[in-house]
Amino acid sequence: MFRRIFIYALFFYFLALLQTSVLADLSLRGVINLISVFVILINLFEKPRDYAGLYAGFIGGFFWDIFSANFIGQNALILLALALFIKIVLRKYVWAPAF
Amino acid sequence: MPLYPKILSRCIILKAMKSVFKKNKILVVIVVGILLVLSLNFFQKTVKGFFYATSAPVQKSLEQTGSNATDFFSGVFRSKELKKENEELELNIQILLAENASLKEIQEENQVLRGALEIGLQKDFRLALAEITSQDIGQGSILINQGSKDGLNKGMPVITQQKVLLGRITEIYEDFSRVALISSKESSFDAEVLDRGASGVVKGKSSQLLTLDLVVQDKEIKEGDVVVSASLGGIYPKGLLVGLVQEVKRSDTDPFYQIAVVPFFDLQRTNSVLIILDF
Repeated sequence: MFRRIFIYALFFYFLALLQTSVLADLSLRGVINLISVFVILINLFEKPRDYAGLYAGFIGGFFWDIFSANFIGQNALILLALALFIKIVLRKYVWAPAF
Repeated sequence: MPLYPKILSRCIILKAMKSVFKKNKILVVIVVGILLVLSLNFFQKTVKGFFYATSAPVQKSLEQTGSNATDFFSGVFRSKELKKENEELELNIQILLAENASLKEIQEENQVLRGALEIGLQKDFRLALAEITSQDIGQGSILINQGSKDGLNKGMPVITQQKVLLGRITEIYEDFSRVALISSKESSFDAEVLDRGASGVVKGKSSQLLTLDLVVQDKEIKEGDVVVSASLGGIYPKGLLVGLVQEVKRSDTDPFYQIAVVPFFDLQRTNSVLIILDF
């Protein structure tokens, strides 16, 4: 689990760097926010019983806060809530043979 | 003997805490994490400053890659558009050359008159040069590589080399500063429409658009008019270029115009900025 969290931390750090440099120049910022896209994807494709996606949401939001003018924790909490919401919906209302 | 119940109760509490932690391990970890992250706000400048300092070299090279890619793709996808733009620009150059020649004559005349009246040229601003390190994910701000160590302060205006207004410093770190752009939604300042004698308040709307409010309808304003900053609010010096009027709407019920302004600055083509230290 710790290895996974460490990988998420590295991944979202570089994603935040990309978002504030390369993608900002390609005028994709505002249109695509890679951090939230990946948090949603991780939580959607993870088994509903796993909870690494929650950490992913929290870590992704943390790096988003670091590289923006927000106070630290604002997006971390928002993405954590989003991840939690996806988990609850998938557990309670979605049935798929893969899960 | 009287100690025995106390120890027993402590043991019970510890056991209860252990079982709560075992049952809700994720919840406990997340709550601790949230508290830890929120407590980082007390050292926000140090934490953010550390990340900016360690990421600056990587970000700089990534930004360079991004702008190269933008140049390449815009050349490929906009070739037809660029050809048309080129023709228009060539025509504009001819018009400007003619205008330039007449302005040179006026400049010479102006210098002679200034000499005669012994008026010195207007004192220029004291400026500091900085480079853009990164752009905010939320679009409203940029990060520059000069900070409190270099004598910058909160509220200082930031412009480009063409005297185009970018915004002002809102957060200051040791080696970095965050500049809130005039297009950010929190931005609002006094401005005037050049040669029209109309003044109003410019507010940020989105990355590509500003609005000019509180301009009374007795003055005529047209698309393509230039909006410059006014010194009324004391936020920015007078005469900095803000943008071009894109759309003017009139309403019978509203005494003011509804004016959309396209900002002059283009972050994709701007690498270095100037900070006005005093004005």
